[in-house]
Amino acid sequence: MKLTLADYLVILLYFVFVLGVGFIIKRKIRSSNDFLSSNRSIPLWITSLAFISANLGAQEVLGMVASGAKYGIMTVHFYWVGAIFAMVFCGLFMMPFYYGSRARSVPEYLKMRFDEKTRSLNAISFAVMTVFSSGISLYALAKLLEVILKWDFDISIWIAAGIVMIYTFLGGLTSAVYNEVLQFFLIVLGLSPLVIVALHDVGGWENIKAQLQPEYTHAWKYMGHPDTNPMGLHFMSLIFGLGFAMSFGYWCTDFLVVQRAMIAKNMSAAQRTPIIAALPKMLMPIIVVLPGVIAIALMTPALQSKGYSIPVNEAGGTDFTMTLPSLIAHYYPSGLLGVGITALIASFMSGMAGNVTAFNSVFTYDIYQSYLVKNRSDRHYLRVGKMITVTGILFSIGTAYIARSFNNINDFLQLVFSFVNGPLFATFLLGMFWKRTTGHGAFCGLLAGTLAAALTHGLTVAEGKGGWITPLYEIRSGLGQAFIVAGISWIANFTLTIIVSLATKPKPEEELRGLVYSLTEKKPISQARWYLNPVTLSIILLLITVLLNIIFF
Amino acid sequence: MYKRLNELNFVIGLFFTIVSVVLLLDNFLTKGSSGKLNLYTGLAFLIFGISMIMLKAGKSDD
Repeated sequence: MKLTLADYLVILLYFVFVLGVGFIIKRKIRSSNDFLSSNRSIPLWITSLAFISANLGAQEVLGMVASGAKYGIMTVHFYWVGAIFAMVFCGLFMMPFYYGSRARSVPEYLKMRFDEKTRSLNAISFAVMTVFSSGISLYALAKLLEVILKWDFDISIWIAAGIVMIYTFLGGLTSAVYNEVLQFFLIVLGLSPLVIVALHDVGGWENIKAQLQPEYTHAWKYMGHPDTNPMGLHFMSLIFGLGFAMSFGYWCTDFLVVQRAMIAKNMSAAQRTPIIAALPKMLMPIIVVLPGVIAIALMTPALQSKGYSIPVNEAGGTDFTMTLPSLIAHYYPSGLLGVGITALIASFMSGMAGNVTAFNSVFTYDIYQSYLVKNRSDRHYLRVGKMITVTGILFSIGTAYIARSFNNINDFLQLVFSFVNGPLFATFLLGMFWKRTTGHGAFCGLLAGTLAAALTHGLTVAEGKGGWITPLYEIRSGLGQAFIVAGISWIANFTLTIIVSLATKPKPEEELRGLVYSLTEKKPISQARWYLNPVTLSIILLLITVLLNIIFF
Repeated sequence: MYKRLNELNFVIGLFFTIVSVVLLLDNFLTKGSSGKLNLYTGLAFLIFGISMIMLKAGKSDD
């Protein structure tokens, strides 16, 4: 792939604009709240697009195109089963507690609802995960630029990290959120021409269906048995593992995304943030799944004359991760090629900045201010927040270099993150909807859930992974294994939290007002205009989601 | 103009308008050797960019 002056100009323009946003926002930063939580002043359309954009990192963009090529249209399950329902639930039922409690972070909510030890467990594990995720994102960006553009690995790392550091240091969370929205439009509009031109080239959806095996163009039809679909999954493990344990765990409890709704101007906007974000999320498969399906259709014998193929890796196998870059190189002329490359860079930087801003909020509020240095001036915490931003970026750079030296560290870290994240939703569900849940119950449940996840992974093996204790049970696909691990860890957490809670003393009810459903005053929802009513919006979204599942059944 | 830089829709609109100019210029200077993809995308970006610039910041509490 060779870039021309026009391509470099587009990339340069993007860098100038993201840095410019940082400098503009800098003038508005006066307190630690401005820097770390945007002082709850961000308009609804920005929080909604930032909510989805915080998740629109490289794993989403490159990973979902790769999954589209590997598994076909079944990849839409990550959206129409594994996102929309959880986002609607988060808006309707969880945001009232996150926003209404005036907690500044998810760990702080846990402290209010349970106790210090539950907060610290969540805060420390979250801080470690975000800084490592940020580093992995940085490594993947530099590696991609090294492979496709032959750019120097070190220079790519330091330039990308330097730009993210400057705009997050200057404008904090607001700057990151504003840039996430710019990145969202860049990714969507930058990749839309690719979908249009590639779909036209392949002869439209009808021709894709004619060329591919039917299991690649039906989302549900072949899910009755794991042997009959490319993902190797039974529909029940998909619904419980992905549609419940994993998706609700991520969209309802991960501070990285929830933080975007917590900075809305008021409760109504905070509730509608994930619900409105669900609409573009629902349509995202057009941008990130369809190109993958087109890519495998282009490789069928009838379309080989188009001259496209997915690159092979060093082992000689198909390198699905390179599907999107190779499609961009195949279809985009100079100029637009720069837009496509910038969209890829934006997805990496978006993921990195999201992690860094979530990390500095949690570290400053939930670790530094709570345990290390209490009762200092706001100016002090603002300074610390800025220092933590720089530290977080430097840790990320270190992680990126570690990832370069140890090939398997990415897989290992993702695995550990899944052990910690898997059981989380059970803690929040019980905490918010069962007033009898205690701090001891929540803490023990979280530990048990993580342990159960590690044990399940150690006793099962799929595609050569897992089974590190003993390969007791074989699962056909790695995805199936991930869903089963998440499901079992959720059940372990849920069960042990209930048992320990029943054996320990709950908090007095007056301390739980505004934190638990049954003890919170229900305010009537505005019926004046349908688009202001989160319930109406949710019903419309869920109906469209069901309809999409039926159309692509 | 300088005040409007505080509005995110204006910043996004400005970015896509400038990118559209780059794409359209590239299309004309290379005499359309890249096909019409740059031209159509440039025009689409231009319409999107100008629309975003023209949008007024909402007055609602949201």
